Amino acid sequence: MSDFRITLRPALGSAPRPGSRGLSITAMPEGHVVQVLGRPHAPDLFGVLERATGAAHRSVRAAGPGQWFIVGDAPLSRDEFAALSTALQPHATAVDQSHGRVRIRVEGTIVERMLAKGTAVDLDPGAFPVGTSAMTLLGHVSVHLTRIEIAAFEVMVLRGFAESLWEDLVRMSVEFA
Amino acid sequence: MTSYRLATGGLVNRAAPLAFSFDGKPMAGLEGDTLASALLANGQMLVGRSFKYHRPRGILTAGASEPNALVTIGRRERTEPNTRATVQELYEGLEARSQNRWPSLDFDVGALNGLLSPFLGAGFYYKTFMWPAPLWEKLYEPFIRRAAGLGKATHEADPDSYEKSWAHCDLLVVGAGPAGLAAALTAGRAGARVILVDEGSMPGGSLLFDTAMIDGMTASDFAREASAELQSMPNVRLMTRTTAFGWYDGNVFGAVERVQKHACDPASHLPVERLWRIVAKQALLATGAEERPLVFGGNDRPGVMMASAMRAYLNRYGVAPGKATAIFTCNDSGYRLARDLEAAGIEVTAIVDSRPTAPPGYRGRPRVIANAVVCQTKGNKSVSAIEVLHDGRSETIAVDALAMAGGFSPIIHLACHRGSRPFWSEENAAFLAPQDLKDLRIAGAAAATVGIAACIQEGSAQAAAILSELGISCRPAALPNVEAEEESRPAKPLWSIPGIKGKAFVDFQNDVHLKDIGLAVREGYGHVELAKRYTTSGMATDQGKLSNVNAIGLLAEARGVSPAEIGTTTFRPFYTPVSFGALTGAHSGYHFQPVRKSPLHDWAAKNGAIFVETGLWYRSAWFPRGGEKTWRESVDREVVNVRQNVGLCDVSTLGKIEIFGADAAEFLNRVYCNAFLKLPVGKARYGLMLREDGFIYDDGTTSRLGEGHFFMTTTTAYAAGVMNHLEFCAQALWPELDVRLASATDQWAQMAIAGPKARLVLEKIVDDDISSAAFPFLAAKEVSLCGGKLHARFFRISFSGELAYELAVPAGYAESIADILMNAGAEHGLQPYGTEALGVLRIEKGHVTHSEINGTVIPDDLGFGKMVSATKADFIGKVMLEREGLKAADRLRLVGVRPLDPTASFKTGSHILEKNAAATLENDQGYVTSSAFSPHIGCTIGLALVKRGPERLGEEVVVWNGLKSEYAPAILCDPIFVDPTNERLHV
Amino acid sequence: MASLISCPHCGARPKEEFTIKGAVLSRPAADAGHQAWTDYVYLRDNPRGTHREYWHHTSGCRRWLVVTRDTVSHEVGFCQDAAAAKLAEVRP
Repeated sequence: MSDFRITLRPALGSAPRPGSRGLSITAMPEGHVVQVLGRPHAPDLFGVLERATGAAHRSVRAAGPGQWFIVGDAPLSRDEFAALSTALQPHATAVDQSHGRVRIRVEGTIVERMLAKGTAVDLDPGAFPVGTSAMTLLGHVSVHLTRIEIAAFEVMVLRGFAESLWEDLVRMSVEFA
Repeated sequence: MTSYRLATGGLVNRAAPLAFSFDGKPMAGLEGDTLASALLANGQMLVGRSFKYHRPRGILTAGASEPNALVTIGRRERTEPNTRATVQELYEGLEARSQNRWPSLDFDVGALNGLLSPFLGAGFYYKTFMWPAPLWEKLYEPFIRRAAGLGKATHEADPDSYEKSWAHCDLLVVGAGPAGLAAALTAGRAGARVILVDEGSMPGGSLLFDTAMIDGMTASDFAREASAELQSMPNVRLMTRTTAFGWYDGNVFGAVERVQKHACDPASHLPVERLWRIVAKQALLATGAEERPLVFGGNDRPGVMMASAMRAYLNRYGVAPGKATAIFTCNDSGYRLARDLEAAGIEVTAIVDSRPTAPPGYRGRPRVIANAVVCQTKGNKSVSAIEVLHDGRSETIAVDALAMAGGFSPIIHLACHRGSRPFWSEENAAFLAPQDLKDLRIAGAAAATVGIAACIQEGSAQAAAILSELGISCRPAALPNVEAEEESRPAKPLWSIPGIKGKAFVDFQNDVHLKDIGLAVREGYGHVELAKRYTTSGMATDQGKLSNVNAIGLLAEARGVSPAEIGTTTFRPFYTPVSFGALTGAHSGYHFQPVRKSPLHDWAAKNGAIFVETGLWYRSAWFPRGGEKTWRESVDREVVNVRQNVGLCDVSTLGKIEIFGADAAEFLNRVYCNAFLKLPVGKARYGLMLREDGFIYDDGTTSRLGEGHFFMTTTTAYAAGVMNHLEFCAQALWPELDVRLASATDQWAQMAIAGPKARLVLEKIVDDDISSAAFPFLAAKEVSLCGGKLHARFFRISFSGELAYELAVPAGYAESIADILMNAGAEHGLQPYGTEALGVLRIEKGHVTHSEINGTVIPDDLGFGKMVSATKADFIGKVMLEREGLKAADRLRLVGVRPLDPTASFKTGSHILEKNAAATLENDQGYVTSSAFSPHIGCTIGLALVKRGPERLGEEVVVWNGLKSEYAPAILCDPIFVDPTNERLHV
Repeated sequence: MASLISCPHCGARPKEEFTIKGAVLSRPAADAGHQAWTDYVYLRDNPRGTHREYWHHTSGCRRWLVVTRDTVSHEVGFCQDAAAAKLAEVRP
């Protein structure tokens, strides 16, 4: 029975797409994405989340009132997820979305101009500094957008739309290639 | 005599000639030309025929308001009709063709319409083509459309790409003339985020043809220096070839950027046009002013042109309008032109000024005829003479060009797009923008400010005022030193002119002339909105940019009131026409909407699936195998295989929602009509969700995975809607409940494994005991797979009526698990099946989908009456379900239907009639909601909603397809065709 | 072309990100009687001027909002989270 080999198929097999002017689109590792649902009307849980996540390679992203995403490049083991889940109790529930969300890194000096073809959010660094997240429409697809560096964004999307969004991002970048 | 290119002067690049053609005739222009300036440089004054009377027409303006010079440019799939030659930049190889003429521009049969003109006046559509009514569609309308056409669009697909983009700024400046440049410089230097848009190919506006000296530079050099400074500022975006076409809610401006409309072969990596939505904290309109024509006989003859346009052709493009030019003016604009023509060495035959005297400071050589008007022009296809009325006598003067200067109308369209009305200013003889607009100001000629120095000063001051409102500090900049002729305030407008002979045009593009306006007033259509529609004045593609104010002035005179009393018609976007391509953006063809793929998409593809679009999803519909020639062969095989062996179907597209919280059970109890409070952990239950009006909204199974943790599935079609609905219930209706929702549709790949051998296959990979005793029908729990390598959610539920399970695994492992299952199931005959077989299987079992849950059915209609909780205090739909009409005995209710002749068939949507009853609405008994060929029964079967259906089992009826007049004798039967006692479910 | 709604959680966003449900009405109690329910389910005002509606920030924070807007001027006024609005109503 145990001789079956289970393999992971990433949603985006596509190779990174480098462009000139420093623009690149890269599928990020399908590590972990944990959706955190805070208890309604609970106080701000950011401190709890920071304690629960601890390690530096993980990141907490705001996702609307009382909700967050905890993301990272490495998969979480069942035990790690359980531990995280426990640490959040009773304030919040952890939902594993590691397979349900796909992260794409878009990077470059004119990255805001490229993303402005899809989103109405003002991505000027003054209005949207590093660490800011927004859930928004990018073209016709809903995404969760985070500025992870001054010239780099993480675009998180439902797995089923990942390929379609990838094609959109490539099209949006053609002008700069 | 005709127009021609001067030896020197202008901003055109004389070292860069461009070849182009007009009506097949090769011509030469220069880099920096518009098509219009190039045509004039080639002496081509006749460029089109008018809309209704097919009168010869020439170039009237040098900008966006052009009503006459509409041509078709490009070829084949890049054919673009109705292009204004006055804004189209010339490029090498441009092909232009005149419009609305046959067989040729010079000899046009349609010009006979001119002879019919007594019958073509205002309202002629309504009067002439009144009856007989049936002829309207077949004869009159096609005839009118052909005769009065614009250019013809191509039927070929647009080969070019378009896109949209958002932009954000503190200050948007519309128009890069003197006021706009000054405003952008002031705000840019203060560090504000500025966007400056201008419709022209280079910034400058009127500076590009003005002869003023600014800080010792020519006006155009000043514009170039100012734009260079703006372009060097990282906080400023200067966008040329960009028309701001609309002002929308939230201070958002729509603008279209013509990225490559000036290129013969557009580069493929760039769109040809880009639609911008600009979110501006504040905006400044510096859109300038439009010169008004004068309404005299033959004012449309080629060679007659706006005075400021003539100046633009002369000073910016180095093109002379003719060898002997007259100027008809009622203000000082005509004298500025006279001075420039004189300086260029072009003869000015006469300045005809309607005012009693010429301006006191005027010292030019040309003859000034004061207190005079031009009452008509003469000539064939271009003007050859004018008739001037002065001192009670008429004088004919030979000319080959005539400029007209009727005063200036500020361009205030954008300011009026959000409902505010402009107001008439007697002092300025113009309609001015509404006052006290929120977050929008006006500067320069658009605010009726006169003179370059004043415009620069005002642009700068308005920008400073805006900055202070935004809390951005700015130092007042030193204003440039402008040497220009002093300009006087606008003169009294000259609406009607005495002694007119022939047609005097008000709206050039729609061929509305003076008498039409009078007729409208006489016939009771004197209200500005009625006059517009009765005469069609202002209704052409130029939207009356030149004509509206004249029409209002003439209406006012005819009614003996002030233009203030007439008012304007409503200004609406778009300021100038915007292509459908730009409005569509990148989302056309395959990219019209996003594609959503199941995590098992590639697995299905490698198993040969044929896909079908369901909403955004691509679902596997069936899996053809060797030798199968039709889809039915494949589907029948898949169905039989599930009933006999086992099949695997991708059901990942079902909506999946995780529901957590202390009150999760209570929440479900309120959103479903059946009870959920006591659902035990480890169990799934079929749930029926109603709308508040009592009709069924959606169905699905919900499993309790923990005390405060449920896993809901929805139908594929309503997944998004149900999530929105649940969020509404949780947030807006019952925020006091502790319930938390997460969409998990994409996290889990879900497979249905159905058929008598399903357990045999699954036992090979599921580690847990899944015997019927340990894992009975409607069991639900987490299981481990392949020796603990993976954990999955496992449900014993069945849509097919067979022993069946659904296995949910994390999406990234879906393909691997499906492969493993296929491998493990090979010895048991496991085959994939698609949505078609899924449909047949559920119809055989009498299971409903949204074909039956079509918004008209309540639970009882589908036989679910007993499911509805009688004890719950409240749930969505509870109260309205009690309505009388929903308890009526003759409601349409679910039954099965099958043809009496097993070889006969019927289609979904067919109606049910009583035997021998005529096919009338009164006799209608209901309709077939689903139908399929059932391999199990051996004939077509259907589900139907029929009046009192369950009471009529065994009744012979007729299934009638009204579209094809087909009648199939049939019998009503139990909707469950397979295993009505559910023995197979429980094996 | 555009309308911006000021989501209290996300800031100004275009209307494409939202789904509109309609007038904000208080859901009657189950025993409120037939008339109250008919009004709630079917009867709608068509106000000229201020209008309170439920808007869902579907492609944003996924919160339901109570948006107050003017049907004449299109001015979007106060935007409030629907849960907060409801709770404020319950305990005034």
